[in-house]
Amino acid sequence: MRSERKFFMFLLVFPIISFIIVAGIIFSLIYTSFPIFLKEGLRFIVTAVWNPPKEDYGILHAIVGTLITSGLAVGIATPLAISLAVFSIELVPTKLRDVINSLSDLMASLPTVIYGLWGLYVFAPLLHQYVMLPLHEYLGFIPLFSTKPSPTNLFTAGTLLAIMVIPFSSSVIREAYEAVPQGLKEAAYSIGMTQWEVIKVMTGYIKSAIFAGVILALGRAMGETIAVAMVVGNTPTLPKSLFDMGYTVSSLIANQFPNAESYDYMVAALFGGAFLLFLIGLAINILGLRLVRKVVTQR
Amino acid sequence: MIARKVKNKIMIGLIGLLAIVSAAPLFAIIASIYVNGARIISPRFLVDFPPPPLGGSDGGIGPALVGTLILMALSILIGGGLGLFTGIFLSEYGHHILSHYTRLSLQIMVEFPTVIIGLFAYAVLVLPLRSFNAFAGAFALAIVIIPYVALQVREAYASIPYSLKEAAYSLGVSPFVVNLRILLSVARRGVATALLVGLARAAGETAPLLFTILGTTLSYFEGLDKPIGAVPLLIYNFALSPYERWHEVAWGAAAVLLTIILALFIVTRSLVKEVKL
Repeated sequence: MRSERKFFMFLLVFPIISFIIVAGIIFSLIYTSFPIFLKEGLRFIVTAVWNPPKEDYGILHAIVGTLITSGLAVGIATPLAISLAVFSIELVPTKLRDVINSLSDLMASLPTVIYGLWGLYVFAPLLHQYVMLPLHEYLGFIPLFSTKPSPTNLFTAGTLLAIMVIPFSSSVIREAYEAVPQGLKEAAYSIGMTQWEVIKVMTGYIKSAIFAGVILALGRAMGETIAVAMVVGNTPTLPKSLFDMGYTVSSLIANQFPNAESYDYMVAALFGGAFLLFLIGLAINILGLRLVRKVVTQR
Repeated sequence: MIARKVKNKIMIGLIGLLAIVSAAPLFAIIASIYVNGARIISPRFLVDFPPPPLGGSDGGIGPALVGTLILMALSILIGGGLGLFTGIFLSEYGHHILSHYTRLSLQIMVEFPTVIIGLFAYAVLVLPLRSFNAFAGAFALAIVIIPYVALQVREAYASIPYSLKEAAYSLGVSPFVVNLRILLSVARRGVATALLVGLARAAGETAPLLFTILGTTLSYFEGLDKPIGAVPLLIYNFALSPYERWHEVAWGAAAVLLTIILALFIVTRSLVKEVKL
């Protein structure tokens, strides 16, 4: 009995360490960013200036950039992720399913800097040539596509992020889809539904899981730093179209940190950005959980 | 009726097409990394110093590669250890009130953008020491991998049959022996998988290293309190440089990194497969 107690006390150390780390991270974000909130107040969030020589910082452009790129990423990735999950379960033999799932897992574990390198030198030029220029030429009258695109911009970042987050939401959807009671599918087929109609019923049944996958992907996309910093253009102005070069909060941090110590308030400003990024992520997660619960209880 | 059948065909085709579109980038990425990397890779590439931006020989990524190996070893030692015991706690005391909060904090740790973890390591280990250092990088990487290792170890321990746990406890030895010798050896594949996943993360993460190790490429390891290089950071810096030659080095380094990741991935897969049998 005694050694039981000792073992518990020993193991107890480790959860406590994880509490300390989490608390420490949040504390260091608040503590280090405090000066910028004192100095700029709300202007830090609602203005878009980045003027280190004048010690004037407002990161609205980066917040907008984060929302645009991650929104675009999730918008593109969600239909693709659902298709990938459904395809691997419904449309291919079991053997091939394992292969597809392995490939999807591999995509999730590739280092982001590899996505960034490929994105910058292979993907961005292709996207520029075959998607962005035609869109600008024919649909340039729509404000979204009004800027003449260069290869690296918010649109490139959002699209690359979409590729990166597909496996995350796809695996959540896949697991939920596989857990749907077989009876539902059999019932659907037995009343003469086509395969597509059955798939519609099945995906309707796992709406909340799909939503959870979207939230997970959104969190990933908002926090992603390296790949985005390589293809987003790194320009501190408020974007007017998807084809504008811009910043996201995390790419701003990555890109500006090397010179931050030369200025009085830049370190604080970048930590402030990180703190806001954390808060946005937290809000989306909490909101997402709420919505998922609502969907589940309505059923 | 025919309209429905036609629609069915079209939509099924569309799903197939979208699935292929979403998996295609993987092949494109692997192919372009190896095709572009092959131009510069040779045995010397693994040990040489990077070339000057203009002129000189091809060079290599020796210091960065050694740096990455050191960072991997250190971070798996710290993060793997902490994650392992946290996972055992979660499995052994799953109903304890602290387990609930531990799972919550691990969840938050997974959700932290890794760049924030890098900032944290900068605040606690770089600013006070007034120097970029290898340990800060390993510390940041360790934080990144703790939740992955902990949650997977928990699963590995939770999957041990209850009767086996009872039998182990009935031997009358201390819980230390039961959990850390007997059950650990039963769950060894699951635990090994957890550690390999952590190792792969440590090898490929870049953002936590940006503000911690400085990424020196011009000298080999000089001590934990000194700056150090790392392959992912070298790729990032060289790819964004204006020099054609450094881009080539970045591709070569990416091929090396991809090989490390693929190797770890394949070993992990084979472990998982054997567990299923």
